[in-house]
Amino acid sequence: MPDKTYKRHDRSDIFIHWFNAACWLLLLLTGVGLIQNPAIDPFGSGYPAWLRSVVGGGGNLLAIHEGIGLVWIAGFILYTVVNFRGAKFFLAEVFAVSPARDMGWMLKKIVLMTLGPKALKMVGADPALPDQGYYNMGQKAFAQASVVGGVVIAVTGVIMYLSDRTFGAESTGMIGWAVAVHFISVGLVFAGLLVHVYMAAISPDERPGFKSMFTGVVPGGYAKHHHRLWWEKVRTEPEQGSE
Amino acid sequence: MVQQLAMVIDAAKCIDCKGCVAACKVANNVPEGQFRNWIKHAEFQVVPGISDNKARFQPGACMHCEKPTCVDACPTGATYKDMDTGEVVIDESLCIGCGNCIPACPYDARYRNEVTRKADKCNYCPERRAAGLSPACVDTCPTKARVFGDINDPTSAAGALYVKNRERLTRVSAQTDTLPNMYYLGDPGPGHWGGKAVVPASMVAMKESAPFIKGIVALSGLGVLAMLGRQLFAGSEHKEDTDA
Repeated sequence: MPDKTYKRHDRSDIFIHWFNAACWLLLLLTGVGLIQNPAIDPFGSGYPAWLRSVVGGGGNLLAIHEGIGLVWIAGFILYTVVNFRGAKFFLAEVFAVSPARDMGWMLKKIVLMTLGPKALKMVGADPALPDQGYYNMGQKAFAQASVVGGVVIAVTGVIMYLSDRTFGAESTGMIGWAVAVHFISVGLVFAGLLVHVYMAAISPDERPGFKSMFTGVVPGGYAKHHHRLWWEKVRTEPEQGSE
Repeated sequence: MVQQLAMVIDAAKCIDCKGCVAACKVANNVPEGQFRNWIKHAEFQVVPGISDNKARFQPGACMHCEKPTCVDACPTGATYKDMDTGEVVIDESLCIGCGNCIPACPYDARYRNEVTRKADKCNYCPERRAAGLSPACVDTCPTKARVFGDINDPTSAAGALYVKNRERLTRVSAQTDTLPNMYYLGDPGPGHWGGKAVVPASMVAMKESAPFIKGIVALSGLGVLAMLGRQLFAGSEHKEDTDA
């Protein structure tokens, strides 16, 4: 049954993915503009000064960044309310790592994507990848970074937001660390995001996966090749799982 | 030539009346228990009748330094050196009161305002200056120990004093030399009350980690470029990972 499709994402899943993507883009663009210190400015450029002049001052830029950040957090609260099962399923899948299988997959995949199968054959390794479940290890790694990083970024963001609203001078130690941790976590998650965007949207391998982030379904052939353990589970199910 | 707003203070004229401190609090609505300026005392005991044990007073406030360590400690540029006037300014709309700049001032000129919850310090009373008045502390000083103006303009009150006494003017010698723009005429007493600029550990961590973060992002970007290069030039030999 080559034409059969399998459902991967709910409408709420698709919404939260693209909602998150839009928020992250805007938060990144405004957030980088809020850093104006030669020692930490990511580009060492005139970007922060330029962006501030566009929006009418650093204060406005801060307000915009805070506003988008709060909308982003509200979006996730809404998603968990609407699709609690989906969120639970996602977290369970993402954090379930089978060390031998998944580490092998990860190492081989990195070599395959950069050097090619010949490199694996040269060292006597089988270029075939271990079977993967609902998510492959690369997806899991970035999802883990996004979940942990996202929570850390949101919590430190809220601490900074409340700094001049509720916190007193005795809290400045915590606020200072919130600033630093916010900066570091965004940097690390952004490093992963580059790979995620390439793998999902540019690499031809994952084209059906990319399309499923709009349609919600993947073709059977893709499911079998890329997520065999999941495919073996769902193909015998009479009805499509709601996940 | 650009301005450098500054104070030239004749410490010998100061009688420690604290008029400047009170006037500043009233003019700037400074919360109870917090102060934008001060008159410090020399530590030695003054003995009446002994002439060389004179009282020494050091009126002070934010010194709008040439090398402001508070600016280095601010992640967002909410506190910055205004290149036109030479003032160290706080943009209250951008400051979130993270507190980094407060220990970074070796003169303790900054505090976190209890009401606004943002960094606060002397700003040379911009509202009063806009109305053609001098800063409140300068205006109120009964002995005219505090003189304010542009030291790059020899016709201003401070500029005239600055030019005339350039040789004998002193600054507070803090352990971290920030080149303060507050000049003392007369003897303000031992200048060792300037402390050390302390940048909070969190800000140090952010500065130290910044190159590593950039490195990791660059590495990730290189990885993506390598994959893209492979996709473009050798994509055809890449087959599906498992067969049917």
